[in-house]
Amino acid sequence: MDIKRDILWRVYLSYILVAAVGVFVIAKATYIQQVQGSHWRSMSDSLHVRLQEIDAERGTIFSEDGEMLSTSIPQFDVSIDFAAEGLREKNGKRFKENIDSLSWCLSNLFKDNSANSYKKILQEGYNSKDRNFLLRKKITYTEYQEMNKFPLLRQGKYKSGFKFEQKDIRLNPYQSLAFRTIGLARDSFKVGLEMAYDSVLKGRSGSRLVRYIAGGVSVPVEDALETEAENGKDIVTTLDVFIQEVTENALMKMLVSNEAQHGCVIVMETKTGKVKAIANLGRGSDGAYHEDYNYAINATEPGSTFKLVTLMSLLEDKKVSLNQIVNVQNGVWQVAGQTVYDDDDMKGKTDLTVKQAFELSSNVGMAKLAIAGYSNNPSQFFHHIKKFRMDTLTGIDLTGERKPVIIRPGNKLWGPTTLPWMAFGYNLQVTPLQTITLYNAVANNGTMMHPYLVNSINEQGINVKKFQPKIVDEKICSDETLKLIKQCLEGVCTEGTARKLFIGSPYKVAAKTGTALMANGSRGYTDQIFQSSFVGYFPVENPQYTISVVIVNKPHVANHFGASVAGPVFKEIADRLYATKVIENNSKPNNEKRDSSFFKYAGYRTDVKQVMQQLNLKYKDSSTVTNDWANITATAGHIVLNNKNIETNKMPLLKGLGLKDAVNICENDLGLKLNIKGKGKVIEQSIAAGLPVAKGQVINIYLN
Amino acid sequence: MDNFKNNITNQNTSLNTGKLDTLFSEIPSVKEVRASLLKRTAGDKYIWGIVILLALISVLVVYSATGSLAYKMNKGNNEIYLFKQLAFMVMGMLIIYFLHRINYTIYSKVATILFLISIPLLIYTLFFGAKINDGSRWIKLPIINMTFQTSDFAKLALFMYLSKVLSKKQEFIKDFKKGFIPAVIPVLIICALIMPANLSNALLTGATSLVLMFIGRVSLKHIFLLIGVALIPIAIIVSVAVLTHNKKAEKVDAASISTEKTISIGRFGTWVKRVQDFVYAKDKEVPFQVQQAKIAIANGGVLMGLGPGNSRQKNFLPQAYNDFIYSIIIEEYGLLGGAFIVFIYLLFLFRCINIFRRCPYAFGAFLALGLSFTLVIQATANMAVNVNIVPVTGVTLPLVSMGGSSFLFTCASIGIILSVARNVEITEGKIPAVIEEDVVENNSNNNNVPNVSAAM
Repeated sequence: MDIKRDILWRVYLSYILVAAVGVFVIAKATYIQQVQGSHWRSMSDSLHVRLQEIDAERGTIFSEDGEMLSTSIPQFDVSIDFAAEGLREKNGKRFKENIDSLSWCLSNLFKDNSANSYKKILQEGYNSKDRNFLLRKKITYTEYQEMNKFPLLRQGKYKSGFKFEQKDIRLNPYQSLAFRTIGLARDSFKVGLEMAYDSVLKGRSGSRLVRYIAGGVSVPVEDALETEAENGKDIVTTLDVFIQEVTENALMKMLVSNEAQHGCVIVMETKTGKVKAIANLGRGSDGAYHEDYNYAINATEPGSTFKLVTLMSLLEDKKVSLNQIVNVQNGVWQVAGQTVYDDDDMKGKTDLTVKQAFELSSNVGMAKLAIAGYSNNPSQFFHHIKKFRMDTLTGIDLTGERKPVIIRPGNKLWGPTTLPWMAFGYNLQVTPLQTITLYNAVANNGTMMHPYLVNSINEQGINVKKFQPKIVDEKICSDETLKLIKQCLEGVCTEGTARKLFIGSPYKVAAKTGTALMANGSRGYTDQIFQSSFVGYFPVENPQYTISVVIVNKPHVANHFGASVAGPVFKEIADRLYATKVIENNSKPNNEKRDSSFFKYAGYRTDVKQVMQQLNLKYKDSSTVTNDWANITATAGHIVLNNKNIETNKMPLLKGLGLKDAVNICENDLGLKLNIKGKGKVIEQSIAAGLPVAKGQVINIYLN
Repeated sequence: MDNFKNNITNQNTSLNTGKLDTLFSEIPSVKEVRASLLKRTAGDKYIWGIVILLALISVLVVYSATGSLAYKMNKGNNEIYLFKQLAFMVMGMLIIYFLHRINYTIYSKVATILFLISIPLLIYTLFFGAKINDGSRWIKLPIINMTFQTSDFAKLALFMYLSKVLSKKQEFIKDFKKGFIPAVIPVLIICALIMPANLSNALLTGATSLVLMFIGRVSLKHIFLLIGVALIPIAIIVSVAVLTHNKKAEKVDAASISTEKTISIGRFGTWVKRVQDFVYAKDKEVPFQVQQAKIAIANGGVLMGLGPGNSRQKNFLPQAYNDFIYSIIIEEYGLLGGAFIVFIYLLFLFRCINIFRRCPYAFGAFLALGLSFTLVIQATANMAVNVNIVPVTGVTLPLVSMGGSSFLFTCASIGIILSVARNVEITEGKIPAVIEEDVVENNSNNNNVPNVSAAM
């Protein structure tokens, strides 16, 4: 028993020692937890918990007709972690097995490298063991989805080592269209609507507490305060893609043919002040034209278009009447030691009525009238400038609108030549947008509308804020003045500087031309750079659109007149608008009448006859000649078949034709290129009936 | 074995009744078979209970802790590791069951054989084994394609062999030549062979052996002598660690790397580094594992942890499912859970001491003590590492860490302990002799075991 007892105490002693270690373990654990606990827990948080920013999606900019002008799309940068465990395990078995098929797939998808060179690239990367091997930048979402189906990539990121980094980029689906107005959403500095509505578009990025777990994956911490990202709202602009396109094309054509420096066109909806299109094109160093600067909101010497202000002021103050005679002195007049010149076509002209002086844009005439009217009290003239809001910003929803420069009477810069020169648009600077706003007010029966670019702010398709047309001034002048000034503006297009432009036009235009010699920095006016402008509205009877065209020509160019440079651009836009928008607006009331005893259709003569026969309708054939085409018209049950004349150099009215007939007429008879939208009968054509057409011209028709 | 025994009983009944066929009524029902299986499952019921309890805890914690591993390797398919662990559980239980059914006296012979096998195996591992962190600890079994740590095998063999030597040499155990030398030689051989690859394991094995020798009544004088000799290499490492650390503090990083190179002969550098890490650990310099383990412990509360499966540190703590599982247990189940684990191991050891007390035979008694102390010392060592009482060593928490060879060897130890316990019960007459007749027969025929109780 001695031996066993001897062993037993040893056993118990050892047991106590082991138990003591056990107790010590618990004690130490308690110490770590209770005494040092907060230290370790905070270290845990600092190591594994981060406040992660959740990016907000930037809103989209839409045109009024719902086209995306600027939107955010995701792009991905692809890189490979060639040191990924899964890729290298078993001596790179997985990599070796997949490299051939993967190279083939990559080559097939991107089509920029052969499968062999992709294999070489991958092999080099594998050999370098690069943890962040950049394979490709900026792949699209579709490519990203496609790539995830590739061999190796299918096996997940731990095995393939492939990593995708998402970056949202801003995309303008219409590319350069109204680019400057829509703006850029660069990080450095934004311009245009992107800038003006940045706070709306960008939304608010949220944040959440995340805990990093295995493999660099993070999971949100439960119960932690989380602020959701608020996605940016969408803005619907007043811009119309169709009008914008027409505008830009027209401007571009003129700039290219005249090698002008830059140009800017604004199209405004008369009744509302909505800016329907705004084009700003400048000549780049490569000779091509880009949307490079928002000239529309940049102040320059306006030239003759400002004569509207002068004449309106004089009429409003009843200082002149339109039939009053003013001597334009062959276009040369000395005042305060300086000479006012007119264009060469004023030579041989002396006595003109005020209306004629305006229509023919006589600087001498305007300067003389201003001196006669306001030299004693220039503040009275300034009062009108103020009333017409030529001294202040329009307040359009774009940032960067430049302040106009107007010298006030009493200012130290005010001199004896200030007033006469101001009378024909020199010695002051205003923006094209200010000018069009004033002309629009005239068109809109004296009610000045606030120009604006954004219709509404939408959030996930739901309207959250709507911008209504805003009246700046109910009446800028008396009805009498308005009536007279309208006559003068119409006169410009019938008897004045723009008389040749609108011969044969189906609609009437009221406008003013402008040809201003521009100061070129320190070189003054010696470079003979002319700014040609043309501002006006149409149709005169019920103005729908006001358009301003301002083009700055290259030095010494022969063709620099407002009527011959800016005018054609105005006309081209107006033609297209008249054909597509104005006629439609005017004819709407007629469409609403639905009465089977009144109808008008057109079509292939034999087809028309056959239809009538089938329907058993009696009609009277009053055709004078028997050609391919016929109109069938019913007036109170009285049906008449008439011949439809198609001239090969003039646009016929397509309205009411079926697609087959429209194609036949446009492509076979006229040799036009046809773009078709919709189905049914033709309701709209982009070239108005009666306008001359040439073979190969493009025409858009809309069916419904 | 079951069939064999059923045959015996069936034969007996057939002989008694003189029939050639068996009646349906004579075929034992499922209930009876189950009952007989339970009857066959002998040994200490507490130990069985503890083993099953630890196995269940293991399944829970390993399932949780392998989450990040599963994410990395198997696209988040955690169940792979769950089923792996369950498979190990089943294998382990089968090993325990079969080993405990064997008469422990056979282990006396087996111990010598295993010990003799383990020496060339360790040498082979040292030169041809799979290397992990510079240490060759593993070899791959050719057919079942499983890596196992040969030191686990060698340790089991050593402790069995040591129990045998201590029990045999009791008469002259205080004698240096006849008692001490035969006991200490196998320990030195095994420790020397483990040391190059795994110093900490060698030290742990040596320390455990010392405890066993102390219990086995080896002269204290001799034991202290051995400790003195063993301290020499440790003293060298610690002093090198202290010296190079001072240099390190003075010189820039590049220079320290070069000193590290000059002192790194085999794993010498790693040892020095670990000692330095432990001794000079400031808050920020604490090795990553220790830091993360402490965070895990801090995350758990006193009574309540984060709850099963809610460990956060499992994602960061390397070897969370293995060497550092104890930290995860505290994180998920709180200090109470941690204390419960300690309590279970101590209870296990207590029950094993109980077996020792009841065991009349010297070899059986020593076997039970030796293996149980080894197991519990390993457990406390693991826990001590987890709470940073001692430097980081690669020791698993027996039965709880994710399965592997060490788990199976632990099961083997427990099987052997239970085998002794079962024998104790037979000698105390708690188990009916009918079922155990074959064993009893073997027992009585065995003359190799000296009857300690007779000597007492």
